[in-house]
Amino acid sequence: MAFLVYDILDPNDIWHWDAPYTFVVTVFRLLSLIVFFLATTMVSGLASAFTGGALPEDLIVGLYNILVLRTWYMQPYGLTDPLTNIQQVWASFQMNLSNVLLALWDNTFLFLYFLCAGIGIALFLQSLVRMDHKFVGGAFISIQAIIIIAAYRALIVPDLTPFPQDFMDFLISPAQILGLVSFAYLEVSYQMIYSSSVGKPVEDREETLKKQLLALRQATRKQDAIERGEKVSTTGMSRSTGATAFSFLREAMERKVMGSQSALESLDAVSDVRRLQIYVDELLQSDPRARDELTAKAAAPSSAYVIGSTLTGSAIRFLTVVAVSFILMSPYVVDMLLNLPIGIANSVEMIQPEIVVLFLVPVVGLFPFTAAVISWMSKREVVEKEKLTKEEKEAAEKRKKDLATKRKEAEKARKARTKARKKRKGDEAGVDEWDKALEEAFKK
Amino acid sequence: MVVFAGVLLLTSGFSFINFYLVLLGVYCVIGLVVTLPLFALTANLAGIEVDREIDKVKVFSGDFLRVRVTIRNASRRHFDFIEVHDQYPETWILAIGENFIASRIEPGSSITFSYILQARMRGRYYLGPTEVIMRDRLGFHYYKRTLKEQTEVLVYPTWKDVRRLESFAKQRQLGLMFGAHRTKTVGMGTDFAGFREYVPGDEFRLIDWKSSAKRGDMVVKQWEQEKNVQLICMVDTSGSMGNGYPENTKLEYAIRAAVLLTHLGLERKDLVGTCVFSDIVHGYVPPGTRPNHMYDVLEILAMAEPKGWSDYETAIAHVVGQSKKRSLIIWMTDLEESPAPLLNAMKTLVANGHRALVISPFGPWFEAPVGQFGPVEKVLSEAVSEELWERRNKMARALSRFGINVINVGPEDFLPTIIRTYEQAKQRGVAMF
Repeated sequence: MAFLVYDILDPNDIWHWDAPYTFVVTVFRLLSLIVFFLATTMVSGLASAFTGGALPEDLIVGLYNILVLRTWYMQPYGLTDPLTNIQQVWASFQMNLSNVLLALWDNTFLFLYFLCAGIGIALFLQSLVRMDHKFVGGAFISIQAIIIIAAYRALIVPDLTPFPQDFMDFLISPAQILGLVSFAYLEVSYQMIYSSSVGKPVEDREETLKKQLLALRQATRKQDAIERGEKVSTTGMSRSTGATAFSFLREAMERKVMGSQSALESLDAVSDVRRLQIYVDELLQSDPRARDELTAKAAAPSSAYVIGSTLTGSAIRFLTVVAVSFILMSPYVVDMLLNLPIGIANSVEMIQPEIVVLFLVPVVGLFPFTAAVISWMSKREVVEKEKLTKEEKEAAEKRKKDLATKRKEAEKARKARTKARKKRKGDEAGVDEWDKALEEAFKK
Repeated sequence: MVVFAGVLLLTSGFSFINFYLVLLGVYCVIGLVVTLPLFALTANLAGIEVDREIDKVKVFSGDFLRVRVTIRNASRRHFDFIEVHDQYPETWILAIGENFIASRIEPGSSITFSYILQARMRGRYYLGPTEVIMRDRLGFHYYKRTLKEQTEVLVYPTWKDVRRLESFAKQRQLGLMFGAHRTKTVGMGTDFAGFREYVPGDEFRLIDWKSSAKRGDMVVKQWEQEKNVQLICMVDTSGSMGNGYPENTKLEYAIRAAVLLTHLGLERKDLVGTCVFSDIVHGYVPPGTRPNHMYDVLEILAMAEPKGWSDYETAIAHVVGQSKKRSLIIWMTDLEESPAPLLNAMKTLVANGHRALVISPFGPWFEAPVGQFGPVEKVLSEAVSEELWERRNKMARALSRFGINVINVGPEDFLPTIIRTYEQAKQRGVAMF
């Protein structure tokens, strides 16, 4: 894709390999002019404030010679020697500024082609390693951005004007080939990401489990060694390997090392790690399937099926997209389908890109609409199972009932007690030694 | 990304009247939606069944539990990319493995994965629901379904205190009875207890003639027998007991103390009952030595939640009604209710021949350390602490008149206090049966 773009845009003579360098130099030339102007203004201001006079002309000329002419080699702009008077300096400044700005405008675009190409290639390389949609998408957009910028600069760019009426002509046109290659890159990359994301979690799971078990074993051995009074090196459990991937162990370590220094806390952390080790050992010994289930090995899809289905899926999608796009974009097909009046069929608008929007929006909307209808219809099949089984439901209801009965009984007993107390009120015998004790304690 | 690319290319194509850019934009947009109806047709997640299995439905806090999840494709469709997330309680820790899987699943086939969790914090928990996400191959579209099936797990209070106690006992090589004083009653029995002077009325067969001859005075032999005590632990689960750091609230300590006490009692063949109450009696396990006694206690303690207020009178009425034998009733309450009901409850229990003791966690000792507060909060918290302290002192004074002690405890001395209390009860032979 990148090569095709390079090849197609080559006649424009934009691939000047020194473009990035020229761009950077031009930027610094512009900067030196700005610095000169700012320095002159500031020094003039200071001179007028402190000495009450204007800045000596020699100083301005000197500044210009050093900052602009010597530092950034502006001599090629028609000068051989340093300037000697101030009029020459300002005339040269003005001319250089406009020249540099114009050069910068041109160089910026040349630089952008290289920048986009660089970003595109970098993201493509990233996508090979990281297998992420954003890298693939980024690489695609970056390379296409070169053509967008070139189109803006009105250079020779791939185009399909007028849009071919014959499907075969459409297929073999160079612009279409570039379009197909670009879309194929996107499609194949996304399919590869799918293949990777289906198989990789199982691999990762296995790797994580190995690390976790190793870290656990090392932690237990380390604790044993500490208990035996042996000196243990801290590299025994590297933070960069298993321990960091193993939140349980990390938490236990932190409880021991970072947490409170209480002996009981340490005891808990050590005991948790050891008990986990024992539990895992027993589990792996008693159940031969335990390891495979922890890694979910059986869940890994067969690679032959994944490759086969990826290729078929890609081919079907690819052909469908090309065919639908051709129908959408070709005025001939549209004309034939809608049997347009001759005035409209021969109008200029029919050969403008805007006509595409007219069909694109409803056609694009049709797919999600169909999907929504299908989902709505198939929703009836989704029968959510009950949250609780019958026994669980009954148990929950019984618990609720018991609680209500208990509350009722407690309330009843409370009322009875209050009633009895009220009855005793006023009766001297009712105030016993307990009540007196309470009164005395709280009187003080 | 593809949507952005499509829109960018289309707008650029329209702006610069370039059919190549428009075509590529159309490719992107059509590529995005073209398989959507097909995906909707195949992605019927109703065909996915998820089954969850666990090793045990009741575990101790801190124990490990293996969860096996089986995903079955009961439909006749291929699911190209399926993600399954099995949810577990927030407070638990994923110890080994992962609780999700991403794969593809064929019609009629199933995939199984498992992971190991560490159950933390007692209570009733639910594993699940399970979230099933189906994506299309290119990751453009997805359908999500949440399977509501949940698996109930009851987490008992932690067993670590018992383990710790056992490990200390092993270290000392003296067994669990280390430091325990056997409760003995002199009189009946078969164990020799000593001699005493003969008093008229003693049976002649008790006279030890050999010793009497040596001493020149008549002495009788005394025998003793071991007796067991009966204790009832009253665990207050009112709202105020839930104050403090999670896992370190007053209630959590009270529950740990109750577990420890029950274990100690069962080890020594004493009878220990437990009552969990707030404004109602949530559960009561009468004193006993049945094999399942410990589990019954653990079950009611596991489900204790700090809410409501403390109705001491209802609680004691319930306990006294069911326990006819003399018992030592140990209250574990923060005494933050009004004093009159507590005194009324004490009155009832003393009137029924029981003895009582209050082990009271003092709120401020369980909450944020004063050092972490700003100056205003510090002054306020000190004022509140003083007020609470004064209040409980008054209550303790009132109760002490009737021989009921109030022991103020903090997080550090809660469990040692309960062990000491038990040992003292054994020594003194309080509430023997």
